Amino acid sequence: MKISVFAFLFIIFPSLLLAQATVSGTVTDTNGKPISGANVYLEGSYDGTSSDDNGKFSFETSEVGTQTLTVSYVSFEPFKMIDVVSKMKNLKIVLREDVNSLETVTISAGSFSAGDNSKISALKPLDIVTTASALGDFVGALQTLPGTTTVAEDGRLFVRGGDAGETQIFIDGIRVFTPYSPTTDNIPTRGRYSPFLFDGITFSTGGYSAEYGQALSSVLLLNTIDEPIQEKTDIAIMSVGGGLGHTKKWDSPSPKASWNKGSSLSLNASYINLAPYIAILPDRNDWHKPFETASGEAVFRQKIGDGLLKIYGAFDTSNFALTQEDINKSEGLAFKLNNQNFYTNASYSEMLNDDWTLFAGGSYTYGNTKVGIDEADIKDVENSAHFKLKLRKRFSNRFKLNIGAEQFLTDFNENYDEPNFAAKLGFNNNISAAFTEADIIFSRKLALKLGIRGEYSELFKEFTVSPRVSFAYKTGKSSQLSLAYGDFFQQPENEVLKFTNNLEAQHTQHYILNYQYSANNRIFRAEFYRKQYSNLVTYNDAMPDANSLFSNNGDGYAQGLDLFWRDDESIKNVDYWVSYSYLDTERKYKNFPIEATPNFANTHNLSVVAKYWIEDWKSQIGFSYQYGSGRTYTDLNEPGFLQNKTRGYNSVSLNWAYLLSQQKILYFSINNAFAFKNVNGYQYANTPDAGGNFNRRELRPAADQFFFVGFFWTISTDGKDNQLDNL
Amino acid sequence: MQNVLTYLTLLFTVIVMQAQTDTTTTSTEAAPTKYEQGMRKAFQLWQEDKPWEAANVFERIATAEPDNWLPPYYVAQINVINSFTEKDKTKLTAQLGKAQNFINDATAISKDNPDLLVLQAQLYTAWIVFDGQQYGMTYSAKASELYSKALALAPNNPRMILSKAEWDMGGAKYFGQSIEPYCKDIQRAIDLFATFKPAGEFYPTYGEERAKQIQAESCK
Repeated sequence: MKISVFAFLFIIFPSLLLAQATVSGTVTDTNGKPISGANVYLEGSYDGTSSDDNGKFSFETSEVGTQTLTVSYVSFEPFKMIDVVSKMKNLKIVLREDVNSLETVTISAGSFSAGDNSKISALKPLDIVTTASALGDFVGALQTLPGTTTVAEDGRLFVRGGDAGETQIFIDGIRVFTPYSPTTDNIPTRGRYSPFLFDGITFSTGGYSAEYGQALSSVLLLNTIDEPIQEKTDIAIMSVGGGLGHTKKWDSPSPKASWNKGSSLSLNASYINLAPYIAILPDRNDWHKPFETASGEAVFRQKIGDGLLKIYGAFDTSNFALTQEDINKSEGLAFKLNNQNFYTNASYSEMLNDDWTLFAGGSYTYGNTKVGIDEADIKDVENSAHFKLKLRKRFSNRFKLNIGAEQFLTDFNENYDEPNFAAKLGFNNNISAAFTEADIIFSRKLALKLGIRGEYSELFKEFTVSPRVSFAYKTGKSSQLSLAYGDFFQQPENEVLKFTNNLEAQHTQHYILNYQYSANNRIFRAEFYRKQYSNLVTYNDAMPDANSLFSNNGDGYAQGLDLFWRDDESIKNVDYWVSYSYLDTERKYKNFPIEATPNFANTHNLSVVAKYWIEDWKSQIGFSYQYGSGRTYTDLNEPGFLQNKTRGYNSVSLNWAYLLSQQKILYFSINNAFAFKNVNGYQYANTPDAGGNFNRRELRPAADQFFFVGFFWTISTDGKDNQLDNL
Repeated sequence: MQNVLTYLTLLFTVIVMQAQTDTTTTSTEAAPTKYEQGMRKAFQLWQEDKPWEAANVFERIATAEPDNWLPPYYVAQINVINSFTEKDKTKLTAQLGKAQNFINDATAISKDNPDLLVLQAQLYTAWIVFDGQQYGMTYSAKASELYSKALALAPNNPRMILSKAEWDMGGAKYFGQSIEPYCKDIQRAIDLFATFKPAGEFYPTYGEERAKQIQAESCK
């Protein structure tokens, strides 16, 4: 009968049922500063209030027993406490800053990222394609950033005194083995991949994560778009060819296949032929078959539950034949090239339970290059693959751990044929690697990244260990300081490996000090670095061959200062940036007799890029100026090696994008508008003339200027999208 | 492109500013439930120009009513509206991040809801207003897609007709194209607003004033 006793009591004292408890206290941040406007409430009830200007709160509740009190305020971590309501009095609640917020320090040493997701973007996604000198090549846009050197006749990325092979490119975390179309001297190459399939680009000029290996100087990380926005068709008609792109989306065919959360496919094809252009504007080469390339790319994405599968494939075929001037051959040097390249990459990522994220991916590359140099025919076939498995555990916003393993496989074969000589060369280069890395955020002011990577080379029977550390400290509201150290290893190039396997990996150490200030659409960065090279490959002939003596006796250093300033605020409708790099480097490698500054490194590099939007003309005008101080060359008429320097390099490029309507754009561009005469180096005669003097020939670009006209048309259901972001 | 988008999106601030639902609607004769009391209190605070306190109340209701999409919708809407004038990127990111979380919560409760799609489009628009150069291209395409989808889901909802027509009209004006078809849509929206009944108390009702204003400014 106890129940009825209780019932009786309740009837007499109804207030027992409506017992109003008071919840009260104060909310402050970790420094004791009151937080006003915080939302304080009992979860699942309607009872709660907002804290006042002194951080105080007090509210009545009819809830009894054990409840959850929640305190939340924007950009702080929510606070929860489980207790008996009657004890929730005079509480002192301290909210911790949410370290996911923008004010948190980021590790910025060495890297530039472009994308909506990055906290501080030195480059914006549009820049990749609206930079006047870049002509739609993302590598061209990156060459306006500090840390790169101007090697205009090559087209690849040369970073901080490293040669082009020291930069590796990754798509969705998976390595690209042959990122550039092969070419010959003085015909600049372009990146193979079209910029509009990517929505995130990170360019690191040093000190990068332990996840990436086999790169001595730099990594370029490209991420394909996870989910295209809409179905559309893109048509491009250009003075040098044409292109066609199409994107199709499928929604989830629910509810039958509940795993299928939708998919999409993007296709892109282009054809470039320089024959008409060269017929109108002949250049310094004698073209037999002007450059011609056809390429196709496809990205398929499938959402599977909480996972995303992406498959990317690219095929291209290119060919050309020409005779280039040569000081040792009055009839010139004949060169022809025919290349087929296929790359495919598949990756799968999924959020698992307990804050684990899984990533698995692989790529396969097939490259087939046929080169004819005078009488010699060289046929290279490369088959390469890369597999990677990575797990990420988020213990809290303040501690995250990455663990992964990967395998690289390369099978390279070459057939060399001359009328009186033939040879078969080749090698297998397999590398296994494992890495782990921790991200620790101590507070909004202090963050640390600690990583280690181990690699085993089957070819060299060698194991290497690379520690990586970076650290960032916020010095003020808008400024921060970062430090980074890392060890980096890379196998020698195919050109060497095809003759020998009796070598070791080449090695660098990076030391980086970075200062960054960012506020109100203005960014300033200054970075000091020192790079120490060791174990560089040397050989004793002009060109490596089967009889050369190879060793790891080379070494060198690179040090300097990179400055970057971007301002989108001070001048109305104008966005501009300025990059300056100072580089001091010497190395002994390849066949260098002494330590010297290689001919791809120049001391001073300056880039100025500006974009001006003219409202009345519906036009964007782009301007880009590139300066590189002189590069070294060996003057055979004087004693020494790489002892002289060319004159500096100058080029001004202009472009104009005109919006005819929302979906039609007319585009003009001109590179080196003022036709500066640039000399990239000199070729000396092999033998002196009668007077004992070695004659020389200037190495000039094939053409001083380049003109481009294009018409771009997008057809989409909503009639809004256009290709401005592709230009 | 920045300026096109800024132009387009400034129009939006106005529409969102009027988004506060009329609180005077009292339908139930019986004693109001806790939910009704809470919602009314929130709207009252909002009208008294205390949007953050209103948002806190909506947020509390959202935890107590896990199956109702309206409370999280209004938390998100308050954060979006107040982001249009925000110039501090840190604050903006925090507010829009919070709005996005609540839109996600609301969408989990109510799938393919045209009002949520329009709110999502307005969230993207806030990013475009803040930095058209960086966010314009991606987010304007996303917003367009959302307006089209919202209208396809509710072809006779005057608010969806208005939202899409206004967005498209901005672009057409900029490129000197005819806005005639959009004026027809605006007229149709006004006609439909006359008989529009929200699905229930506290459901979004905004839009009629804005439609008349656009008609007066652009279509006469």
